Amino acid sequence: MAITSIKNLKEFSTVNERFEGAHLLCPGCAHSMIVRELMNATDDNLVISTNTGCLEVSTAVYPYTSWDTSWIHIGFENAASAISGAEAMYKARKKKGTLKDPDAPVKFVAFGGDGSSYDIGFQWLSGAIERGHDFTYIVLDNENYANTGGQRSSSTPIGAHTSTAQAGSHSYGKTQKKKDIVAIMAAHGAPYVAQLAPNKWKIMAKGFQKALDTEGACFINSVSPCTTEWKFDPKDTINVADLATDSLMFPIYEIIEGHELNILYRPKNIIKVEDYLGAQGRYKHLFKPENRHVIDRIQKDVDAKWEYLQRREEARV
Amino acid sequence: MSQNIPGTAKKGIHELGAETKVGWDEVTQGVVLEPFAEPVKDVAHIRPEERNYTDFSSYTATVASWRVLKPVYNSDICIDCQNCWVWCPDTSIISRDKQMLGIDYDHCKGCGVCVEVCPTNPKSLLMFDTNENLDVALSQWPEKKKKEK
Amino acid sequence: MAKKFDINEIEVWDGNYATSQALRQAQVDVVAAYPITPSTPIVEGYGSYVANGYVDGEFVMVESEHAAMSACVGAAASGGRVATATSSQGFALMTEVLYQASGMRQPIVLTVVNRALASPLNVRGDHADMYLGRDAGWINLDAFNAQEAYDLTLCAFRIGEHLDVRLPVMMHQDGFTTSHKAQKVNPLQDEVAYKFVGDYVPVDEMLDFSRAVTHGAQTEEDWHFEHKAKQHKALMDSRTVIDAVFADFKALTGREYKRVETYLLEDAEVAIVALGSSVETALLAAEELRKEEGIKAGVIAPRVFRPFPYDLIRDVIDSSPLKALAVMDKSSPGGAMGALFNEISAAAYTTQNRPLITNFIYGLGGRDFSVEEAKRIFKEQKAHADAGHITTPIQQFSGLRGPKLGFFETKRS
Repeated sequence: MAITSIKNLKEFSTVNERFEGAHLLCPGCAHSMIVRELMNATDDNLVISTNTGCLEVSTAVYPYTSWDTSWIHIGFENAASAISGAEAMYKARKKKGTLKDPDAPVKFVAFGGDGSSYDIGFQWLSGAIERGHDFTYIVLDNENYANTGGQRSSSTPIGAHTSTAQAGSHSYGKTQKKKDIVAIMAAHGAPYVAQLAPNKWKIMAKGFQKALDTEGACFINSVSPCTTEWKFDPKDTINVADLATDSLMFPIYEIIEGHELNILYRPKNIIKVEDYLGAQGRYKHLFKPENRHVIDRIQKDVDAKWEYLQRREEARV
Repeated sequence: MSQNIPGTAKKGIHELGAETKVGWDEVTQGVVLEPFAEPVKDVAHIRPEERNYTDFSSYTATVASWRVLKPVYNSDICIDCQNCWVWCPDTSIISRDKQMLGIDYDHCKGCGVCVEVCPTNPKSLLMFDTNENLDVALSQWPEKKKKEK
Repeated sequence: MAKKFDINEIEVWDGNYATSQALRQAQVDVVAAYPITPSTPIVEGYGSYVANGYVDGEFVMVESEHAAMSACVGAAASGGRVATATSSQGFALMTEVLYQASGMRQPIVLTVVNRALASPLNVRGDHADMYLGRDAGWINLDAFNAQEAYDLTLCAFRIGEHLDVRLPVMMHQDGFTTSHKAQKVNPLQDEVAYKFVGDYVPVDEMLDFSRAVTHGAQTEEDWHFEHKAKQHKALMDSRTVIDAVFADFKALTGREYKRVETYLLEDAEVAIVALGSSVETALLAAEELRKEEGIKAGVIAPRVFRPFPYDLIRDVIDSSPLKALAVMDKSSPGGAMGALFNEISAAAYTTQNRPLITNFIYGLGGRDFSVEEAKRIFKEQKAHADAGHITTPIQQFSGLRGPKLGFFETKRS
């Protein structure tokens, strides 16, 4: 497989983009940073499926497409099934000899938001990963149903305000923890599973390349800071992503073959979660004295998770 | 000074929603959209300015009207680190041969991420009113900031 | 290269097995499926052909019917022949994607083994699933026995994949009555069948990497209507392709299919209109009644449920001396007249003849439809014809225990 050089950004920047501008994503949206990075990480042909969501409704609105590769959207929940079908057809036609260019290198990729991946399309995702189709599933995890105006998903962290888990006089926002989809996908025995972040561009590009190059069903959960629903200034998308990774709210790690865990980024200075929470409007109510316990709980959970990841890594089991 | 960034004649020529509304007999079968007018092998090896885009590619559309502020690029300070390139959400930082050439104002929405991630001192990208003349903007560039102790 | 399957000139196959053989002979590239009674043996059959080298394809057992149809759409957009099978609740779960498949103009063949919809849960045959999908934008073919299930499955590929059509096709057969009843079938040899179906011609395929394609774009109020109209036009226009494919099939096999089948209709005064295996029951009843009582009874059976053959229904009604029709709906109508009754009535309204039309809801959940009951219905039609008006409620339930159930009387002074 031909792989784009990501030795440094100068090298990386010589690729020819296959994701066009004048899509309709919000200014400062991290989705398109992640999509560009994936598409730029390889020069292989790509067949991409996408669940209904922000990315889909912004990049293929008739009569315009922003995709310079094969791309398909069917519904909210079934990008994993669509790519399963495409990959199966590739195998069938390769066997039969009906492909136009049978030697052309190709990679199959599916994108979904957290709503479509953690919730409504969870079964479809699980099925495709279990079947082991040769593809990479990437979650653009902005922790809410941003496309429909910011409702809670099972990826929304505890304490976040959403339109359907509101912070108010009797509530501190969402009361349930974020679903650990990375662990669930690793438990499927997927050959490569990772959690990545766009601010760590090189780790992300390497992770993408590893997933694309690994045979079988690979899974990547990427934090995608959402300027609109997390309520921060569009210019700060990467700053917020830095706070996410440096507070360890979003630890960056990979799990190989369901067990071998490697931490891919260790912040030099680990910051407090409240620095991350304080940068976003969706958590502002947590800074009232009566909600302090929620911040404490989040910090405790983050510390415990980091401890767990480090021990898993050390254990080499 | 004006920018000299590469692009085909079709870049950004369509205002979103202003396209000709053809009848049912002229819409594409199955809502399929093709971005290129002719078969093209290995598009990843062809520069955008050398591609034959159809009117269906959003490359031919513009979102310039979304912008309130625009980033202005100062090549005298830029170190070609490509931070702005990697993090631009709108494919609007135009780099060729490892060099930053400028901003695609047809596709830039003015989010300001490029300015935030620019590491130079002073920054090589700054936000100005979207109607500001580029030469005037460059004439207002700040001096190097001294490090705070 | 797939192995040749030894086939006798005459086989004893049930509808499911006949259908799975047709999928094999069409050399379907991808079957993505999920098991459900009574259609499971169709995909099991395809799976066994893959496992034993009788087809060069991929058999993808997914985790739900929704995923099955979704994978079929992804596979079809990738430029090869695609089919699957389902019934009842599985069909219901697929419904969202049925609309997407037709809107995306993917010529998938879905072999439906008709079964009732819950609640109450029931595995037996009625047409609730067929009716659920009737507005989904698919071509709907209806087989009345195993031979027809085999023949029409082969035709389905030819019709749906035709470049002037490019629409998905459902091939219906009745659960158990057709799907599980071993019957005499005259199959084609593998090479003859494949030659009839032909090589798959990809359109806008995602695996032609020299042509990037975007499938499944969004359209809002500026564009949606035009796209749906274009799709409807293709479905309506598929009538000529269906006729042509049926003509080719007749030339090859001698077996004739029409968008509307008619039996004993030339001099018929009364007729039953039905779908599925009930057609053969009604025909037996008509034959016996003609002998026993001299009642000129006939049968009308839409072979193609979508695009609905309004044209041919009108021709049929105006070219016979029909005075009364009983339209049989094997699906709970949910607060309306049966769907087939509505379609037939709409077509008949613009005829010169304008026969009296009544509606029977029957056979729900696999309730048997007997020759005796069919005869009773014919005789009731004869009574309407003789009286010159409808003498019963317009909608009645047939084969139901308990007090007579019917709705809407015509007022006669």
